[in-house]
Amino acid sequence: MSGLDKFSEKMTRRVARATSRRSLLTLIGGALTGAAVIPVLPVSRAQAQGHGGGGGADPIAPQTTGNPQDPGDQTKCDYWRYCAIDGFLCSCCGGSASTCPPGTEMSPITWIGTCMNPADNRAYIISYNDCCGRSACGRCSCNRNEGDRPMVRPQANNDINWCLGTASAIYNCSTAVILGVALEQK
Amino acid sequence: MRWLAAPALILATGAAAMTPALGDPDTNPALQSAARARQNWILTCQGCHRADATGTPQTTPTMAGFVAKFLQVPGGREYLARVPGVATAALPDAELAEVLNWSLVRFDPANIPAGFQPYTAAEVGRLRQTPLRTEAAVLRASLVARFNADQHK
Repeated sequence: MSGLDKFSEKMTRRVARATSRRSLLTLIGGALTGAAVIPVLPVSRAQAQGHGGGGGADPIAPQTTGNPQDPGDQTKCDYWRYCAIDGFLCSCCGGSASTCPPGTEMSPITWIGTCMNPADNRAYIISYNDCCGRSACGRCSCNRNEGDRPMVRPQANNDINWCLGTASAIYNCSTAVILGVALEQK
Repeated sequence: MRWLAAPALILATGAAAMTPALGDPDTNPALQSAARARQNWILTCQGCHRADATGTPQTTPTMAGFVAKFLQVPGGREYLARVPGVATAALPDAELAEVLNWSLVRFDPANIPAGFQPYTAAEVGRLRQTPLRTEAAVLRASLVARFNADQHK
């Protein structure tokens, strides 16, 4: 035991003689700065670019209309027309915000609400037509539910499967079609 | 402008073809605003009935060219205001009466009987207090049988 004591005392004294307190501060400062740099490394940036709310690291190119009256990225859950959507965005599934992916059929039975367009601050009537006939897309899950009502009001509930009136009741993804401009509220 | 022009045209032709009861939408209190009625149709009815009111055979009976036949038989007028989709729609009485009158003129002007008086807010407010539930289908079948029998006389 005394041998270990002597050894550690010898080493400690050697370090104390050979280094200054200022060099210890330098070492700690360097470590702090180095740790701060880790989150800005490219690896971390790539992981942070999630799409569609719960999309994770699925790489999907942005889709914009280029029209200043229709701002935003249609593959993102925060796109203005998706204010009451619940499902997978067809924009991420081979379709668009208003068309179905190939091989699916658009449901004629829909639930309809209004969304505020940030470009002109007017309410637009939006129809959430589901696309049906292929298994769930699974990309860009988006669940915003503004104006969603409980199941006792099925005509305004978006948790039920709206693949009605189609050849198949299998849900693939959801669109948000503009039907028109809503009247001004008095 | 096309979406505004279409119902206006339909209202105009409908009004010309039938009784003056639903005449000028600007002066008749039953049709205060055709634009508002159309919007309420879109927001509360069209999702299931479809834009042209043709419906889906299994779930939503057709209204186009059909719905005003109910006005031709006793009990039919009350039935139209008590069916679940009408009675429980999230609309105040006045707007519900308005969209009901509007949908009759819009989707079935030919079958509106002569002397038809438009629904009023008070009437719709009274009728929707007793909404139909599961018995709606049975009542509907008996009314349809009644006016089909009348037609074949």
